[in-house]
Amino acid sequence: MDHLPAALMPPPVALYIHVPFCISICPYCDFVVYAGREARGERSRLTAFLAALHVELDLRADLLAAQNAGQPRPPLRSVYLGGGTPSLLSAPQVTDLLDHVARRYGLAADAEVTIEVNPGPADRGDLRGYRAAGVGRVSIGVQSLQASELRTLGRRHSAADVAATVDLARAAAFDSVSIDLLYDIPGQTLETWSATLHMALGLAVDHVSAYALALDDPAAEGLTGILGDHRPVRAGARAWRDRVRPGQDEDRAAEMYELASDRLEGAGLAGYELSNWARAGHEGRHNLVYWQREPYAGLGPGAHAFDGAGRRTWTAASLADYLGVLTPAHRVAASLPVGGGELIDDSTAVAEAAILGLRLRQGIPVELARHPGVSAGLAWGMSHGLLERVVTRVRLTPRGRLLADEVFARLLPAGATASRREAAA
Amino acid sequence: MARLGWYQRVAEPSSVYSGRPMASIPQTRLRDFSIIAHVDHGKSTLADRFLELTHAIDARQMTSQVLDSMDLEREKGITIKARAVRLAYVAADGLTYGLNLIDTPGHVDFSYEVSRSLQACEGAVLVIDAAQGIEAQTLANVHLALAQGLVIVPVINKIDLPSAQPDLVLEELENVLAIPRDEVILVSAKEGTNVEQVLEAVVQRVPAPGGDPAAPLQGLIFDSHYDVYKGVVAYVRIASGRLHEHESIRVMASGAEVEILELGVFRPQPSPVGELGPGEVGYVATGLKSVRDCQVGDTLTSAARPAASPLPGYEPAKPLVFAGIYPLRGEDYGELREALDKLHLNDASISFQAESSVALGFGFRCGFLGLLHMEIIQERLEREFALDLIASAPSVAYRVTLANGRGEIDVDNPSRLPEPNDREVIAEPWVRASIITPSQYIGTLIELATNSRGTFEGMEYLDVQRVLLTFQVPLAEMIVDFYDQLKSRSQGYASLDYEAIGYRPGELVKLDVLVAGEPVDALSLIVHRDRAAAAGRSLVEKLKQLIPRQMFEVPIQAAVGSHVIARETIRAMRKNVLAKCYGGDITRKRKLLEKQREGKQRMKRVGSVEIPQEAFLAVLRSGEAS
Repeated sequence: MDHLPAALMPPPVALYIHVPFCISICPYCDFVVYAGREARGERSRLTAFLAALHVELDLRADLLAAQNAGQPRPPLRSVYLGGGTPSLLSAPQVTDLLDHVARRYGLAADAEVTIEVNPGPADRGDLRGYRAAGVGRVSIGVQSLQASELRTLGRRHSAADVAATVDLARAAAFDSVSIDLLYDIPGQTLETWSATLHMALGLAVDHVSAYALALDDPAAEGLTGILGDHRPVRAGARAWRDRVRPGQDEDRAAEMYELASDRLEGAGLAGYELSNWARAGHEGRHNLVYWQREPYAGLGPGAHAFDGAGRRTWTAASLADYLGVLTPAHRVAASLPVGGGELIDDSTAVAEAAILGLRLRQGIPVELARHPGVSAGLAWGMSHGLLERVVTRVRLTPRGRLLADEVFARLLPAGATASRREAAA
Repeated sequence: MARLGWYQRVAEPSSVYSGRPMASIPQTRLRDFSIIAHVDHGKSTLADRFLELTHAIDARQMTSQVLDSMDLEREKGITIKARAVRLAYVAADGLTYGLNLIDTPGHVDFSYEVSRSLQACEGAVLVIDAAQGIEAQTLANVHLALAQGLVIVPVINKIDLPSAQPDLVLEELENVLAIPRDEVILVSAKEGTNVEQVLEAVVQRVPAPGGDPAAPLQGLIFDSHYDVYKGVVAYVRIASGRLHEHESIRVMASGAEVEILELGVFRPQPSPVGELGPGEVGYVATGLKSVRDCQVGDTLTSAARPAASPLPGYEPAKPLVFAGIYPLRGEDYGELREALDKLHLNDASISFQAESSVALGFGFRCGFLGLLHMEIIQERLEREFALDLIASAPSVAYRVTLANGRGEIDVDNPSRLPEPNDREVIAEPWVRASIITPSQYIGTLIELATNSRGTFEGMEYLDVQRVLLTFQVPLAEMIVDFYDQLKSRSQGYASLDYEAIGYRPGELVKLDVLVAGEPVDALSLIVHRDRAAAAGRSLVEKLKQLIPRQMFEVPIQAAVGSHVIARETIRAMRKNVLAKCYGGDITRKRKLLEKQREGKQRMKRVGSVEIPQEAFLAVLRSGEAS
């Protein structure tokens, strides 16, 4: 496998910053989150985290500058403050952070800057202040607009809180307002989902993400080791998942997806990606960087980065380790936190390009579809009506969008399995 | 590697025995005997006491139940392979006797091995548990021994148990087997009580073996095992003449001639001897590489001075239960073949031949003496050869009369059954089942037999509490879960023995399972017409749970001929997409897709339907297919 020398690697075009705090942990959530006293009050580690985050930012920017041998590089096109609950940050904290990013990485004048906010009054943050700090896009973690479903999910906010948050965002003059919704929630019916969609459209937002509730176990996937990017699911949350999982239903979920697609498209939000709908011009540019395999950087525990070619890396989930190495005791030099990574070989890279590209409505160019690594799998998808060719592109059909993983799994090369099998024999 | 016999078991070979040669014991002071007993009645413990008493092995070296040398035998507490061991016993008359103890298995599946062992004896110690009384298997083996003219030394064991009822057992022995009370020895093998009396009785009651030492050599091969260094090791009992070390011998039926590598006896560790005379039991290391050249039941003779005719041999064991055995990983097929070859050297009663199945790949159709035998072989293959195996549902051999006078064939694999047009009659093997049970379970056991298509034959009271029930039952019904049900219905008290009584035509049909219209060979069954609907329903329901949804709707049908008797439908898959992909974590998502892809690669294809092998395994393992 040929790797470009590090100096010739394209620099990141987007930056993800993970803020690992929430006032409470939702039992379905897999992301790196510290809650309760660690997030609020006297013993909160939020301030310590921000100090470490600024150090990490500098160290990574230094590294990038060294790799780039001082050559000028284009400014970032996107910054995304995710979590966790980044709206636990004050406006000055966000201002400092974005200023620092602009200083060290460069920030394009038209860059998309997103912050995730919670709808609850306690943690929706200072929207007006964020706007003044340069944030142009707000993504609200709505999940549902039904009280009983919010209760099931362990969320503390109400539908009225959501409406208030959207109003505040509009009043603060954000360029773009997005909401996240969940379907296939235990107890959810087509009727309640329909009502949620109706209410969501009534909010007149610019962008909607609708995700099927996924109740996996990161530990079973081997993601919670010392260098892993996930924390183990707590016993209570695990029990909750085991209890509610039987309430999920593949057929109902399929119908909910189709209903969402119909409603959102009907209201003028185009489904530009499998789980994302937007008014024209409001597509999430940050996520498009992921789907188009462009390079991105990540900061914070559990954050991922990609060099745009053959290397994906991540920072370990442990906040204590993160703080320990970035803000060490007196007279010890700061260093980057540990984490993991993987090298993507050429055939996997082709498969990734096809898989990520097919998530987008526009699909992939036929040149990529003809690549021998993926052509057989794509032909299978065509013959089963999951893919279609439209002029010079190949894309998922409406049925294919629901069965995308059937196609995607067939695009991956056999190599990894072959070598594992050899080891087993 | 295959097991070597009991070589590994005994800590310090031969040291305890070196000072006591036995070749000098005259033929008149030899006694060849077996122990026959039901499972768990204490035969192996009694044998251990014999070894201690005769100093064949001292207490320090004693691992409990020395004669059961396979791990599996100890775990299951049963004896699988017959053993022969020579003991030097100084009797009350002050003379040293040579006792050849031939151990026998106690389970119903192994009566063939019992009968073989008994042919090498003049007497048998009959062991009955003082708490349990006579069991069906005991009865069968006593009848075998009596039929061969053996002297019975009756022993009631475990008299130390609080639940022992020796008086009741004495009454049973008198009623059922006409054994007088005064011949019975009351023993506790565990505590050593009266064990010496048993050996005295063997010396006094069992006749010395006959046979002319001057006549040409005739030695009966009553068992064998395969040793990687010594080749086939034959266990022989000399009927006439003398067998010397280094002698050139001929195996009469096979015609193979070899010079003996080693001649010896088991004490119980193998100890070389210079010669064996009439009535003596020992082993001959032949160096032969194939057990086929040295079959059990054949006669050894001298190459230089051969006997005119062989001894009457044994009928080869007839397998009753058949199943396909497949490696879980296709690449293990070659290893499975080797493992079966090696096991066959030690257990000639297994039969196997290559077969292939769409669902399970390449494997072997194997024949076994019974279900326990099948279980033991499968476990030995998995344990001793580190194979992961799957067995298809056990079947019996059906005798099919072909149409147009083309004769009869035996079909031991349901998928090989000729089409209805090509066959006239399907006959199935029947057995006579003897059940001994406390009388309160008579009703439920008659019901069990009737449910199993059995017919009542007779009932006989053994004593005031226990009865002997006999039924005629199709073997196919016996091998499903008859034994388990018998035990559960009688709370473990009933015991079972069965013997084949021939073939009878039956209303039998072949039940096929079709997935999307394609028959799945490994799931075909031959069942009684009355059972077809229930069996078919149960199979399709199970498969519906186990086969994942496909891109299209998949019908699952059970059919007899072209007549569909049960149907389920697996609806087409609706949704398989991981929506979330957060914070740029592409890696997690791709790993999950890779896992899905691996799963797809392991799928078996039936027509256009992809079925995980686990689905077949789950159906086959559930064991209630019929």
